[in-house]
Amino acid sequence: MSPFILATLLFALGLGTMITFASSHWLLAWMGLEINTLAILPLMAQHHHPRAIEATTKYFIAQATAAAMLLFASATNAWLTGQWDIQLMTHPLPVTLITLALALKMGLAPMHSWLPEVIQGVDFTTGLVLSTWQKLAPFVLLLQLQPTNSTLLLALGTASTLVGGWGGLNQTQLRKILAYSSIAHLGWMTIVLQFSPSLALLTLIVYFTMTFSAFLMFKLNNSTNLNSLAISWTKAPVATALAPLVLLSLGGLPPLTGFMSKWLILQELTKQDLMPLATLLALSALLSLYFYLRLAYSLTLTVSPNTLIGTTPWRHPTSHLTLLLSTSTVATVFLLPITPAIVTLFSLLGT
Amino acid sequence: MSLPKITRLPPARLLGSIQHHCQQLLLPSITPLTVPRRAIIQSEYRRPGKPKEDKLPWQKINFSLSKGLDGIKKNFALLKKEFSDRWVGPEGKPLREHMLEQTRVIWEFRGPENLEQWVVSSDSEIGGQSEAYLKLSKNNNTLFLYGTLNSTPPRDGETRYSGYCTMRSKQSLASFDRKKYYDWTNFNTLHLRVRGDGRPWMINIGTETYYSHMKDDIYSYFLYTRGGPYWQDVKIPFSKFFLTHRGRIQDEQHPVWLDKINTIGFTLGDKADGPFQLEIDFIGVSKDYAHTEEFAYEQFKRNPEV
Repeated sequence: MSPFILATLLFALGLGTMITFASSHWLLAWMGLEINTLAILPLMAQHHHPRAIEATTKYFIAQATAAAMLLFASATNAWLTGQWDIQLMTHPLPVTLITLALALKMGLAPMHSWLPEVIQGVDFTTGLVLSTWQKLAPFVLLLQLQPTNSTLLLALGTASTLVGGWGGLNQTQLRKILAYSSIAHLGWMTIVLQFSPSLALLTLIVYFTMTFSAFLMFKLNNSTNLNSLAISWTKAPVATALAPLVLLSLGGLPPLTGFMSKWLILQELTKQDLMPLATLLALSALLSLYFYLRLAYSLTLTVSPNTLIGTTPWRHPTSHLTLLLSTSTVATVFLLPITPAIVTLFSLLGT
Repeated sequence: MSLPKITRLPPARLLGSIQHHCQQLLLPSITPLTVPRRAIIQSEYRRPGKPKEDKLPWQKINFSLSKGLDGIKKNFALLKKEFSDRWVGPEGKPLREHMLEQTRVIWEFRGPENLEQWVVSSDSEIGGQSEAYLKLSKNNNTLFLYGTLNSTPPRDGETRYSGYCTMRSKQSLASFDRKKYYDWTNFNTLHLRVRGDGRPWMINIGTETYYSHMKDDIYSYFLYTRGGPYWQDVKIPFSKFFLTHRGRIQDEQHPVWLDKINTIGFTLGDKADGPFQLEIDFIGVSKDYAHTEEFAYEQFKRNPEV
């Protein structure tokens, strides 16, 4: 892609999210979301492969539907309350509609079916942008809504964690696994949104770090399915040694960073007297953990059959830029001991 | 003008008698109780090879309790199998087997139920004169596709070329008639054992497409048969398959994505009139570690920016 066009599209991506961050009027927020959607479409379709085009079209239809629902809900709110302010939306009908629209935008269950297909159809970098940057703007809008219907958010979150766990169970395509992991993590975030927005933001940022590591690791190994991952230990042995830790961090095991968000969310839910829900969430995390463990097993704990020529790639220097991978891997594995500092930071940000 | 006799006939034979009486309708404004059958079904142009439609659409469906019960049993059995397969591993096989798999036979021909998985067609559908038939060969061990090719175009005024025959696998279905895809990402070569008659065939792989403008996207490659009495092992890497749409090779070529394969097919259209035959022992996929090519064709830009 021409560097000028790439720069324009990336700039537009950033602009869209920033507009949504900075807006207090629903129309401006909607505009930011639309700019985001339109900017990423050429990035997704740049390789013109039929499956990439299919993924782009599916993404566009899902996002456009969500944007239309959002616009309708904000217009309904303007009709009912006479104002367009984001934080003053209190009538239950528009709030419910907006929650569902933002859930569709982010890929929360039960509006998640587009996400695995879309991420499977695009390459790793674009999939990373879809999983991380594109979730920021809708999430920020969800944060600003008044929690009038807690049941809906809890239902969406619980459904997402369960669907993310069960859906990813027998996948062998890595991108689909990461899509289901995205659904599950967003479910955890949604559940704690109304009780502690700063915790939800913390979960999001921790998820971003872990997803960066995962996507960049798979991109380094250039593997799109389980079997090609299994023979990729020869490409970067040290990265392969750290990869199970990244995957277990995604699964939320102590003493890795991923445990931070799950622990704090379960603690918050217990304080709110929602013990059965907390138990259900903890059990659904086991489902996700199963497929992360399976990836770790095939990557590190087994030696898949390979030819002699397949054992030599580590001798050559890689042409990938690995700074981001190394930084995010370190952050994914080692940040749990500074949990109190991070929690304080986010609660200060939240207030 | 007296009303036609239809109005006095008992309702059960109403439709059967309309055809006899419609010629007697001199005043078309006096419509009978139902519209004449021919007007509904044969109002469109019927291509010469298409059989005459005699039944109304709902008469073609077989409503019977036994068929319904069989369907329920079959679909719930498939559903139960899908649930239980999830516990075993990916695609119903344990993980170790999935990781160590290097070859897999997809289609074998051991009985009439294997023949049911294939659809044979030729240009007789559009009014041509080729014929193609499918049967199980000696000892019920192989598939035998045979017939006659005739490239005389049908005389319907618009077809200029003709003379083809093709065999395509049916879409495999999961429970409740949902599509089931083949996942061949572990493999990189198509391996078939055939015994042909020296004719050049084309292998077509159809992948899953969501949108209707892509539904005729097919990845093709050639199969040159040797024709001798000896069997021929054909190994075609998937990187060699090129993208075509409705038979036309596309300018922008892309490698075939193996994670959602729907059908495979064989086509013969070599403009040589006469009998043909193709015997297939099995169709399978395998992983050739020595083959590292990702895509065999140049993906140049047609309009490069300066």
